[in-house]
Amino acid sequence: MPDGKLDCEAAMRRLWEYLDRELTGDTREAVRAHLHECSACYGHYEFERAFLAALGDAERERRAPESLHGRVLHALRSEGFVPRYGES
Amino acid sequence: MQKEENVSGNGLTVTSAGTPSFEREALPCLDAVYRFARSLARNVADAEDLAQETLLKAFRSWHTFREGADCRRWLFAICHNTFLRAERQAQRRAAHEGGDADALPAVMLHAGAMRDGTDALLTWIELGPALREALDRLAEPFRAAVLLVDGEGYTYQEAAELLDAPVGTVRSRLFRGRRLLQEALLAQARDVGLGGAGSENGGSDA
Repeated sequence: MPDGKLDCEAAMRRLWEYLDRELTGDTREAVRAHLHECSACYGHYEFERAFLAALGDAERERRAPESLHGRVLHALRSEGFVPRYGES
Repeated sequence: MQKEENVSGNGLTVTSAGTPSFEREALPCLDAVYRFARSLARNVADAEDLAQETLLKAFRSWHTFREGADCRRWLFAICHNTFLRAERQAQRRAAHEGGDADALPAVMLHAGAMRDGTDALLTWIELGPALREALDRLAEPFRAAVLLVDGEGYTYQEAAELLDAPVGTVRSRLFRGRRLLQEALLAQARDVGLGGAGSENGGSDA
């Protein structure tokens, strides 16, 4: 890695860590600089960024089934839980 | 912890007194706990049982919860420990870890997708349902890492602590999981006719 520059392969190996904000200092800056200069890698970056955003949304949209909420409340009540705010 | 009342009886004095804060802090995490349980358990029924068990254990131990601490993280730790104990009892633990090499093939996958026109899948198909389906098929060690980092926003280090695994292992599970999901999505894109000839809408540069 002469003068801190990354080639495409090295930059792409770090892409997910870069997107996850797991890189720091010079490494983060080297990936950022490479993406700024290389349109092919920037295309991969945009793809991965959109993919990870969609993945996070898909994960967070999942809700526990209503029946499970009821089951849990019932089980908690049998152990002394007395709900105050959410329901009677 | 506020003590609105001091109910005794059944030996439940502490938990009864802790009810208001438990309701405020722990109960709203049920959806998140369920998601985590889904990433660990083999099927929906096991995940529901695991989520319920987690909330019950948390309620019983609520007096040990430090006010101001991260309740969701505390619940995840209980959930994971409960899962591991059940797993150990069932005497099965598959070990199939990928290497760091998984980071690069993901990009190669995208490069291939660009060539055959399937990389448009992010804009062409409704990703949510396809992703949820692919997530359901993803094996446990990969799912948990993906859920914690991509779904819940934990750092690699935090996810590693929750899963009680080295950070390098979690990272490689995360990368492998993402790659498997991308493969599943690209296969689905090809199944519905995206890509292939790829020439109708201007084509690609490859």
